[in-house]
Amino acid sequence: MSSIDIAVDAVPSGTAGERLGAPSHRAPSPKRRKSGGFTPYLLLVPGSVVLAAVVGWPLIQLVIISFQQYGRAQVFGAPAPFIGFDNYLKVLSDQQFWNVLLRSFSFCVVNVVVTMALGTLIALLMTALHKFFRTLLSIGLLLAWAMPALTATIVWGWMFDTGYGVINFVLTNWFGLGYHNHSWLINPLSFFLVATIIVVWGAIPFVAFTIYAGLTQVPGEVLEAAQLDGAGTVQRFRLVVFPYLRSIFVVVIILQVIWDLRVFTQIFALQGIGGIREQTSTLGVYIYQTSLAGGEYGIGGAIAVITVIIMMAISLYYVRQSIREEEL
Amino acid sequence: MRKLSIAALGITAVLALAGCATTSGDTGGAAEKGNIRVWLVGTDTPQAARDYLKTTFEKQNPGSTLAIEEQAWGGLVDKLTTSLSGSDSPDVVEVGNTQAAAFTSAGAFLDLTSDYTTLGGNDLLPGFVEAGSYNGKFYAAPLYSGARLVFYKKDALAAAGLSVPKTLAEYVSHAETLATANPGKSGIWWPGQDWYNALPYIWENGGDIASFTNGKWAAGFSSAGSITGLTEVQQVMTKASVAPKDGNETNPQVGFCDGSTLQLSAPSWVKWSILAKADAATPGCPTQEPNLGVYALPGKTGGAAAVFAGGSNIAVSAKSAHSALAKKALAIILSDGFQTIYGKNGLVPAKLSLASTLGTDDVAKAIADAAGHARLTPASPKWANVEASGVLTDFFVQIALGGDVKALAAALDTKINGMLNG
Repeated sequence: MSSIDIAVDAVPSGTAGERLGAPSHRAPSPKRRKSGGFTPYLLLVPGSVVLAAVVGWPLIQLVIISFQQYGRAQVFGAPAPFIGFDNYLKVLSDQQFWNVLLRSFSFCVVNVVVTMALGTLIALLMTALHKFFRTLLSIGLLLAWAMPALTATIVWGWMFDTGYGVINFVLTNWFGLGYHNHSWLINPLSFFLVATIIVVWGAIPFVAFTIYAGLTQVPGEVLEAAQLDGAGTVQRFRLVVFPYLRSIFVVVIILQVIWDLRVFTQIFALQGIGGIREQTSTLGVYIYQTSLAGGEYGIGGAIAVITVIIMMAISLYYVRQSIREEEL
Repeated sequence: MRKLSIAALGITAVLALAGCATTSGDTGGAAEKGNIRVWLVGTDTPQAARDYLKTTFEKQNPGSTLAIEEQAWGGLVDKLTTSLSGSDSPDVVEVGNTQAAAFTSAGAFLDLTSDYTTLGGNDLLPGFVEAGSYNGKFYAAPLYSGARLVFYKKDALAAAGLSVPKTLAEYVSHAETLATANPGKSGIWWPGQDWYNALPYIWENGGDIASFTNGKWAAGFSSAGSITGLTEVQQVMTKASVAPKDGNETNPQVGFCDGSTLQLSAPSWVKWSILAKADAATPGCPTQEPNLGVYALPGKTGGAAAVFAGGSNIAVSAKSAHSALAKKALAIILSDGFQTIYGKNGLVPAKLSLASTLGTDDVAKAIADAAGHARLTPASPKWANVEASGVLTDFFVQIALGGDVKALAAALDTKINGMLNG
């Protein structure tokens, strides 16, 4: 039973306690029970109203637009005719869309794996560090986390600049490598290397802090007992620590997958600095290019709806998987 | 238990009320007074002109204020689409002349047909009036026109024993000579994303971007003339330029000031970027002034080449809350006083009668030469989509990388045809 599980259980037990308490004071009346039964739903209302207004309404609009012929003229008030699944057919029969999808998935997988691995290692490092260095490391991580993605991308872009970047300078002048005027963004693979560095750099603090918070909740006695039983470092992490933190890992991985799949700012800003758009667009940027820049809001909407469906499928799969694992 | 329910109800009520409160309340106020928001794009418009606009407007309209909000050229079409269609629209907006059609055709701008004569009438730059008109109605007035000029280092040209080129071919060969004589430096600084500079090569060789025949657009990058021009472009980009092959054309003064750029083709106002103070926010190198030469890009058979007439239009948003005031601000922008400031800063004013304000120095002569041969991008409402989609920058980056010109041009034509006719 991990800390997260206890916290999750606390909510239903609190309600159950109230329900149990009620009959002991006065006779149970159906009316009274009914109002008690509604309370949780009533409490959900404010949040749901805000979510419906902020997330639900745009989502409904998006779905409607994806079935319409919707261009720039429609944005300014021209009538938008419904055209059935035409937008979807156009998207699904476009080779460029499948390239973008494949590219996004590959980028996402690499980034999630690298972020999770480095984030976990840093979290483990934090548990082992002396307090002073742990604070220093935390401040460093917080600064990286607090840096807006656009600012970070532009600064990283300067460092990787073809003509005046510090990376090329160091590689050429200190290591004697042939990186003078080397363009880092022109080759798609190298472009995504730079993008991965920026995205991972920005995502590690969140992963590290969350997992570190989880690690502090792993009871020391259990680890000590495992050590006495002869478990090595790797075994202790795999067999003791990881099961405690499984639910944290699931949540963090889902969030990372969604964030990395819809990554926008870093790619968009890097494309402005260099590289070839057609070979480097990911889903988020492709939706933007199609709808806002290209003025094809209907088609862009269709791509966005497809993206939403994919992400929901991934999230549902992970959530179900984690629930099933907990039931076992 | 009951307390919780009441609290939940209370929160719901507060949220609902707050929702109502924000929607009401923004009505009322005298029609004659308001805050006018003017969007100017990039740093092209000099500070003196901005100050002139603000003080003149606020003097003429006591109680009203005018705020200038500077926007970036990158992503402008997207930003204008979202902001002009929203309830928080700016009142007066600058838009690139090649982008204007996307908005005039969509009904984003206020119809200014009845104000045409008072704004300047036939004295307004004709090409820009055309760019700002749609279906016989006038929506966006000319703001200014830029001219593309070639800036060069006098000492570098002299050291290589070269003079100002007379033809386009000479210009290309000079650039290569300069680059060979100065390894690691650009004979012509030309980053791959800078497609505006490639257009003269296409036009001078008889090519075209796109033509409109029988109700359909046909892109012309793969025509014989265009291919000849594009091959020349590739020659310059690969042999005479050390600029990043995938770089963009911002901050051309950096290379000029650190000595790695010997020539560059850029809008006329780049002169002021180069001569900016060394401790300015975007520093230049004023000490280079005596060494800074300028000429108009030469054509295939001599004279000035057909260059891209980059420039801006200015319009009133159809959703402006104070359209009467916005029109007054527009009138100031097109007044002789405001436009003269453009002329003095090397930008072609919106009125033909103010051409003399450009002065008589080398830059002015070069601007006059270039402006006389300026050409525009295709007059399709969908052309802005082509520019915004990035296919042109992608194409020229691949040209700069030494790609197969014919195959790339054919692929580009297919894409552009799809966008213009789609």
